[in-house]
Amino acid sequence: MILLQSPSRFLLQTLLNRVQNLEKGVELDYQWVEFDDVRYHVQVSMKYPQFLLLSVSLPTPAQEAVFSGGLPFGAIEAIKASYGVLVQILDPPKDGFNLTLKLNLSKLPPDEEYKHALLVKIASVREVVLGAPLRVVLKHLASRTVAPDINRPFALVHRPKESFFLVPQAEKVTVVFPMRFKDSIDTVLATSFLQEFVEARRTAGLNNAPPCLWSPSPPLELRGTAGEALSANAGFVTFVIFPRHVEGKKLDRTVWSLSTFRAYVSYHVKCSEGFMHTRMRRRVESLIQALDRAKPDLEKSKKTVQGRSFKRLSLKEAHTNSNSQRWS
Amino acid sequence: MDSAASRPAVVIDNGTGYTKMGFAGNVEPCFIAPTVVAVNESFLNQNRSSTKGNWLAQHSAGVMADLDFFIGDEAIARSRNSSTYNLSYPIVHGQVDNWDAMERFWQQCIFNYLRCDPEDHYFLLTESPLTAPESREYTGEIMFETFNVPGLYIAVQPVLALAAGYTTSKCEMTGVVVDVGDGATHVVPVADGYVIGSSIKSIPIAGKDVTLFVQQLMRERGEHVPPEDSFEVARKVKEMYCYTSSDIVKEFNKHDKEPGKYIKHWRGIKPKTGAPYSCDVGYERFLGPEIFFNPEIYSSDFATPLPAVIDKCIQSAPIDTRRALYKNIVLSGGSTMFKDFHRRLQRDVKKIVDARVLASDSRLDGEVKSQPVEVNVVSHPIQRYAVWFGGSVLASTPEFFAACHTKAEYEEYGASICRTNPVFKGMY
Repeated sequence: MILLQSPSRFLLQTLLNRVQNLEKGVELDYQWVEFDDVRYHVQVSMKYPQFLLLSVSLPTPAQEAVFSGGLPFGAIEAIKASYGVLVQILDPPKDGFNLTLKLNLSKLPPDEEYKHALLVKIASVREVVLGAPLRVVLKHLASRTVAPDINRPFALVHRPKESFFLVPQAEKVTVVFPMRFKDSIDTVLATSFLQEFVEARRTAGLNNAPPCLWSPSPPLELRGTAGEALSANAGFVTFVIFPRHVEGKKLDRTVWSLSTFRAYVSYHVKCSEGFMHTRMRRRVESLIQALDRAKPDLEKSKKTVQGRSFKRLSLKEAHTNSNSQRWS
Repeated sequence: MDSAASRPAVVIDNGTGYTKMGFAGNVEPCFIAPTVVAVNESFLNQNRSSTKGNWLAQHSAGVMADLDFFIGDEAIARSRNSSTYNLSYPIVHGQVDNWDAMERFWQQCIFNYLRCDPEDHYFLLTESPLTAPESREYTGEIMFETFNVPGLYIAVQPVLALAAGYTTSKCEMTGVVVDVGDGATHVVPVADGYVIGSSIKSIPIAGKDVTLFVQQLMRERGEHVPPEDSFEVARKVKEMYCYTSSDIVKEFNKHDKEPGKYIKHWRGIKPKTGAPYSCDVGYERFLGPEIFFNPEIYSSDFATPLPAVIDKCIQSAPIDTRRALYKNIVLSGGSTMFKDFHRRLQRDVKKIVDARVLASDSRLDGEVKSQPVEVNVVSHPIQRYAVWFGGSVLASTPEFFAACHTKAEYEEYGASICRTNPVFKGMY
């Protein structure tokens, strides 16, 4: 797996299970947490098996990010546009969550393929909600305009108390990620990973990919933002998105890739740590083998039928052994 | 660290056959997936055979091979469809055998299945009671170094299985756990939450042996199952149709009288040609689980039935705990799910105990009347993932976070902190 998938695996599994035996009333109450502190809560009650309550809590936004009514800018519209009549937004949401959706599973379309696509879309609720402002900006880019009433640079939440920045223009959108890591080893690995990442962009096959830059200091686009938002121990990554990257179906993919970029980096940092451990283990094994080879030849021990080995001492040997113990 | 304690802990129970994973506080694990990794070996072999050539391409291919693997059901599907992926089973007989595969397995569990950031959650992992301290250290090393978990707790499976019954009835932490998994069977006496280490008995017959026996029976009868699929078919047959009989002779008679009622049919599709086939499932339905009660029909090396092993285990425990142990024999693991398994076990253990009481009574000539010994085999519907559920219960208590090994401790003292296990010291 190289990229993280956008639908939540467990949510999709729960939904598919539910749809398959809709008549059977069951009591469900699941809570779980995904990366970047997105929490989910699913409830189904015995009485109304066709309804499913889905609550989502989002990472706490930093000061600079724009939230209206506990949700990112444009989220409500995005939910309505992608789910239609299937979903009802409950106001106020459940205690401790930012959003509660009431799904009416009996209103799903009969067509299997379409139904599945819609369920996948519901499972990707995090992309719809958190990616909503990004989608608005990128949609304007596709039509080569700039969204009105947006301050620059535009901050978007993607982790608890952390945000990334957009600088929308008519012809391009610049996206800046301040990269922060808690662990010192992670910071080092991430820094070199990002440098390699920028280098990889220059290879011939990726000419059409968005240009990508890494710098240890905040780029010029971020002038005027608060100092706290500009502290990043693994540098800043800048992507420049052109209209050709957001045409038609590419939009969804771009939104998802951008909003999970930090999770992508952290996943790969963990993978490379794992890779290094594998190499280290192999090296230790080969060194131990070399040490074993250097040992003077021990007398070949005999194997019994059960696979146990024993060493048969001759009488003389046993005698000298006990002698040497006694006298030396 | 505090923010991590406010999130639910991740509970992963790695078994030989299946891995159960999920978040603490839920009643069911999120995923139950076969513990298997499909690795793409073709890259590695290329590297070795042709040392000259495009170095960069080979380098990047090697790097990609590091990410090109699958776990669980996906792994099995991949290895069946193409020959580039090889299956490797990281856990053998309840012990981690291949640490590289295990690390990869965990990586996919965390990032692809549970999709959580390991830095945000405390982790609860499980181990069998016979795991060596070195292996616990290895686990700690991988968890803290690779995944940067804030805290780790390695629990002993039977204690968790006992804790699973903790909420439903009273706070009973004394009992014998009969843990029959896919690769290992242990009988573990626990007194007040302490494992009585010297009395642990394990037998070399487990779920996989039932599968192998079913496979063997079907092959000997000449059922037309494609050889490359026969193990999987046997596994499915075991999971779907096997049950425990009270008496084999009666059961044979029943099957012979009414074959229509007892013989099931299995339908499948040949993986190579795609042609459908079907085969009958007959005596193996009750003969499979019978190997726990009459092991001599399966192997000549080991011939002690499971009830006798349980009895021996309790007899070797301290004398003041024995009554309590007989009273609470808890089943856990997927291979105890056969219908009426607990009834048969209870009957057979009771028979042994009653015979012993009778013998002692007659020896004493009726001078002293002994109190009858209560034998009780407990079975509950969540038996299949009782260990996971126990872990979920344990990890949702506030004491759990205090009992964890933390990252700070790991950095201060090293992997040796994982050597000692708090459960052996009695957390409950």
